[in-house]
Amino acid sequence: MLDITNLERRWFKYKLKRIFPYGLLVTLILVLGLSIPLIFSKGSPAPIDSLPKNSIKTAISTPVETTNEESSMILQPSMQFIQSMGAVPETDTTVPDTTLLGSSKNSVTSNTVKLPPVEASSSQSQNVKVPIAPTIKAPLPLVKGKLTSIKRDDVAFDIHEIEDRFKNNSNPNLGLYIAHYHYDHGNYAEAYNYALKTNAINSSMDDSWLIFAKSLVKLGKEDQAKKTLQLYISNSNSQNAKNYLETLTKETSK
Amino acid sequence: MEPSLFSKPRDLFVDVVNPKDYVQIDSVSHIYQSLKNSVQKPLKMILLYGRPGTGKSMLLHKLHHDLSKHQKVYMIDIPIIDEDDFLRVLAQKTYSYASREPLSLTKFLELSAAVNFPIIPIVLLDEAQLYSSALMEKIRLISDARALKFVITLHKTDNEEIIAKEHFQTRIWESIELHNASYEELKIYIQKKLLKANCFDVANMINDNNIKLINKLTRGNYRDANKLMFALFTLYTWYEEHNPHKIKYNALSKKYIEMAAIHTGLIRA
Repeated sequence: MLDITNLERRWFKYKLKRIFPYGLLVTLILVLGLSIPLIFSKGSPAPIDSLPKNSIKTAISTPVETTNEESSMILQPSMQFIQSMGAVPETDTTVPDTTLLGSSKNSVTSNTVKLPPVEASSSQSQNVKVPIAPTIKAPLPLVKGKLTSIKRDDVAFDIHEIEDRFKNNSNPNLGLYIAHYHYDHGNYAEAYNYALKTNAINSSMDDSWLIFAKSLVKLGKEDQAKKTLQLYISNSNSQNAKNYLETLTKETSK
Repeated sequence: MEPSLFSKPRDLFVDVVNPKDYVQIDSVSHIYQSLKNSVQKPLKMILLYGRPGTGKSMLLHKLHHDLSKHQKVYMIDIPIIDEDDFLRVLAQKTYSYASREPLSLTKFLELSAAVNFPIIPIVLLDEAQLYSSALMEKIRLISDARALKFVITLHKTDNEEIIAKEHFQTRIWESIELHNASYEELKIYIQKKLLKANCFDVANMINDNNIKLINKLTRGNYRDANKLMFALFTLYTWYEEHNPHKIKYNALSKKYIEMAAIHTGLIRA
């Protein structure tokens, strides 16, 4: 069961984290936006003169007491803000005010955070879906390049390909398979070779030793086959090898 | 007690692979059809790969469900890592080989040669990336010998370009890649699933913005989408029971979707 209270708390924290950079940005813009009229009004002497002195003092608290040079320094940020808003062509590139630099940094970082698409609530309520079946039936483009990729290789079975794999990875199962294949196709010399290689890789595979011995028999080397089997039996005590040796001995005695 | 409006939709999105829950989406249907065609061809191995949550297992189960009516199809959905066990289970399934003795590959191939099926049986292997190289080599040999036909699924991950793996560089015969759902596909998937179960009211609540958000959170991963929707409807069921005034029935709440995403771990909070 879901812990709804905990989940709501986590969601609230998550939202705060998400909203914070944007909130900061909006606050900065608001502060700058509000300060522009003040700065402009301070920059033009005529209206100031026309106002009563007391009201000027209350409207512009600290900057009023600055010198003419300082006031020109204050004008620069506001002009740059206007430039950044695209209202005035860029003329002055010097930005001495550190507070403004800080705010521009904030705006950059906030731009990198992806906002979920914000939709007007009214449009949401208007767009309440009447189902659905007709929209679903609208066919999608079948294969959009990325959607499906089907590759096919219709090459027929090729023992050489397995032989190559065996060369590359020396897997004894492959060696045994190839030895079997050659034995079944009457290529006893090849069967012998592959069984020999397989035995060298894994000396405990009954089937490989049997194919090895059988190939020797087919190549007319029965004595060698018997010796090999005896040697293998002495090491492994393999019942299959014993049976084959017995059969072989019976056949040769006949 | 009256059943909740959201309990049925919730149960629809339980993350279980069931071919009966298969939702037909054009691009996936196209892939499925070509997969079915490939299985009928004398191909020996078919590889189905893609990122997690792209619907590989579902396709495999669907294939099993459909083909088993006409031919011998065997599904191994939980990987059998041990080589001997694998061959023994395979022999048991396909050739009714009952022995508990370890089964060598040669013996397996002898068994297969002794049984003459009119159509080569198909073995479906899910999660094949878990099999060892040695076992994969045996599987390839079995398919090379045309004893069995294999359809295997593999995860494609960022670190591991499976298709480039040694096993599959040559002779895949057919490889099919599945991709994550697009926005439209996810929309169709969710809507069709709801409509199939006659959940019209809930289906009507889901608007484009909801789908956009769900798609963004799940990145088109069907499994994640199922989990998210399950958690979402669980939330709705709770609110309907305890705080019904908080539910607006004209659209799914963004807040609840985000809460469900937090619960399922799609959002870190």
